[in-house]
Amino acid sequence: MQVQVKLFAFFREGRFIREDKELPTGTTAGQVVDDLNIDREEVGVLMINSRHCTFETVLQEGDIYAIFPVIGGG
Amino acid sequence: MGEQNKNKQKILQRIKLCSQNNALSLNEGWRIAADFNCSLLDIETTALEHSIVPARFNRNSLSCHEQLRLFRSRVAIIGCGGLGGRTAELLARLGVGHLLLTDPDNFSESNLNRQIFCTLQTLGLNKVEVLASELKQINPVLICTQNIHLFNTHSITGNDLVIDGLDSKEARIRLSQLCQKQDIPMIHGAVQEWYGQAGIDQASNKLISTLYPQTTEPPKTPKVLAMSVALVASLQAAEAIKILLGHNSALQNSWLQTDLRHCEYNLIPLP
Repeated sequence: MQVQVKLFAFFREGRFIREDKELPTGTTAGQVVDDLNIDREEVGVLMINSRHCTFETVLQEGDIYAIFPVIGGG
Repeated sequence: MGEQNKNKQKILQRIKLCSQNNALSLNEGWRIAADFNCSLLDIETTALEHSIVPARFNRNSLSCHEQLRLFRSRVAIIGCGGLGGRTAELLARLGVGHLLLTDPDNFSESNLNRQIFCTLQTLGLNKVEVLASELKQINPVLICTQNIHLFNTHSITGNDLVIDGLDSKEARIRLSQLCQKQDIPMIHGAVQEWYGQAGIDQASNKLISTLYPQTTEPPKTPKVLAMSVALVASLQAAEAIKILLGHNSALQNSWLQTDLRHCEYNLIPLP
């Protein structure tokens, strides 16, 4: 299945802003995070099609999946 | 007419006489205050009540009613480093009347890259004390209450809103809980490298628990660029003013993610 993955803030560094990915059926939001070598502890918000989701949410064909880091400085 | 009222009338006459194009200069204000044995704040408040604006606020593009509303507003700045220091500076220039400044830290060399009042002269000095004295140079009628300890419930009580100038997840979650308990909106801002975010945390939207869902602190000390700080502090000041003046904001039910590297600004809906 095809899913568009969008990265935000410093997750973009050395990766991409948005990319269409071919993923096996049943892939979870958390697996995509792991495949991108993103530390789960650095993740703030996850959204599929503008709705909040969790690492366990299963992605569907055509989803737009956004991954935001925790931003902590002040 | 009572003695007090007569005096008020005389003060008003002097204000009208001394103002030019409905603006009253600082020098005239100070002179009138000295002659009538009252404070500059009394003089400028009377002026605003009668549609005369203190000259330094003349280009704010606010009505006298709005400027007066800011004069009477109280804002707590929790954390007076990058975001807190700059937001405080903007609020002082806008004419917010009372700032409660909280930060236990002193300026150190690693603050020079982004904290507005950190200079060679202020290294080693307490951030709150430096900020209070600098802000008085911007707006002499500003009242600054200084708290050089860690924040607690008293650091926010009685304020119209709270500015999040913190730099740790745990502290933000704690501040959010205190604010929600007292029903005070908390203007959130955070920055890292070229990136930032801003929003309004309140009981109705639970912004902070959405943005910081996990219990552990991020592993690295965040690196921060000065432009990101200035941008996010400006957003925080703008949201603060809108709340104080009763304007609506898109950030009541969303948050803004900023990316100066790729020039992208995204409004993200809250759940």
